[in-house]
Amino acid sequence: MKFFVIKLLALLLFTFGALHASAPAQAEGASTLKEETYKSRPFSEMITGFLQSTGINALMNPNPNELNSHGHAMSDFHKTWGRVVMILITFLLFWLAIRKGFEPLLLLPIAFGGLLANIPVAGIAGDDGFLGIIYHMGLSNQLFPVLIFMGVGAMTDFGPLLSNPKTALLGGAAQFGIFGTLVGAVALSQYTELFNFTIQQASAISIIGGADGPTSIFIATALAPELLGAIAVASYSYMAMVPIIQPPIMRALTTDAERRIKMTTLRHVSRLEKLVFPILVLVLAILVLPESTPLIGAFMFGNFLKESGVVERLNDTLQNAMINIVTIFLGLAVGSKLAADQFLVPDTLAILALGIIAFSMGTAAGVIMAKIMNLFPGHKINPLIGSAGVSAVPMAARVSNKVGMEYDRNNMLLMHAMGPNVAGVIGSAVAAGVLISLFQ
Amino acid sequence: MDTNLVMEGFKFMALGMGTVFLFLIILIVMMNVMSAVLHKFFPEPQASLEPSVDTKNNKKIIAAISAAISHHRQG
Repeated sequence: MKFFVIKLLALLLFTFGALHASAPAQAEGASTLKEETYKSRPFSEMITGFLQSTGINALMNPNPNELNSHGHAMSDFHKTWGRVVMILITFLLFWLAIRKGFEPLLLLPIAFGGLLANIPVAGIAGDDGFLGIIYHMGLSNQLFPVLIFMGVGAMTDFGPLLSNPKTALLGGAAQFGIFGTLVGAVALSQYTELFNFTIQQASAISIIGGADGPTSIFIATALAPELLGAIAVASYSYMAMVPIIQPPIMRALTTDAERRIKMTTLRHVSRLEKLVFPILVLVLAILVLPESTPLIGAFMFGNFLKESGVVERLNDTLQNAMINIVTIFLGLAVGSKLAADQFLVPDTLAILALGIIAFSMGTAAGVIMAKIMNLFPGHKINPLIGSAGVSAVPMAARVSNKVGMEYDRNNMLLMHAMGPNVAGVIGSAVAAGVLISLFQ
Repeated sequence: MDTNLVMEGFKFMALGMGTVFLFLIILIVMMNVMSAVLHKFFPEPQASLEPSVDTKNNKKIIAAISAAISHHRQG
């Protein structure tokens, strides 16, 4: 028996040996073919050839045949100084993210994506570059924003909203920022020469007022993909600047007495209520506005997993691993739209300006809505939580709390403000659904 | 341009804000109905348990703190 095994092994060895002997013959044939395409050149020519392929040369002497990632011709400015300016802008974004702590989780990937997208010759943001591949993988088909919404859903606690349902109206009022800016943008486009946006572009820009990064990206890719970079950057930078933008508006619109209004403590919300709530919202969305269900469905899926309490592993993955991975890809893909030829255009300034107007109008509308609600009998609402109706979870709620405590150290508004805050997310998803349905 | 874009914008606003408010108002009504129904048919059994757990913990914490204080005074 042992002898037989040895014989078999020997036979196998021989067969392999024979196969290997024939292999080098084929390889030799391939290498001779390759050698034929390579021509020996003098060393000086090699050096000049290498110098022509450097980044410095590409920035000094733009290649007239170079096309942008959409396959269109670019102006010389966008190939040369535009790229330098964009790279400096990404350095500024790095500084804002690291030193100032402005939404570093998203701003850093976006800024680095922008840096990579502006490298000449390499074409990283082109269709075959890795940024281009990431962009087509999940941003042009709106996958990443939806995945982000799942993670956000798993992080959201609807308890404060459930214990004081009427605060949801504040989250609705804040969406006025979106539609108010839409009217303003189309009016300025029609009657002035400042800029010339189509109604699709104006809609995509004004959704910045919803203060919801994923929603903005979702709408921008659907209605105006050419403006995606500027819209995403504006949206995320204004979300990061909530603590700077909102307080002056909140103070201007409220009286001292209103800021000191104490709200009744929140009632306890049972686990079952929290479990039924995501299904309730989803059923409503199905009945009223199916266009909003990609976002709301993903959001409620994440929340349902969390509140079910039986899939802790999935919930943990949604809240941590998945949202982190998607955030990296989303940031890089958005950054790929910071290429000079797409970002350094007059439209970008207009988008940044309209974005901050939309954001401020949303904040103001939320505060005013709270004042209107106080005209009716019932428990009084502190108007400072109205500003949290723009989404920007949980930053806007924290701002409400902070401003409230400046006037009364014992007035904790954080949990009260979380109600309008999460309602704002639902509200902006509904607004997004309306906008998409209008262009069907 | 043929169409009056500003009028279009106002139409969008009316429809959009209308839908958002309609959605949220129905949601508020449904939330209240849901809470009422759930409280009626599925009252929380744990409501009475929670405070007792808290006081137990409190007693432990108080014991730990007082032990630490006496230890500190002795030392």
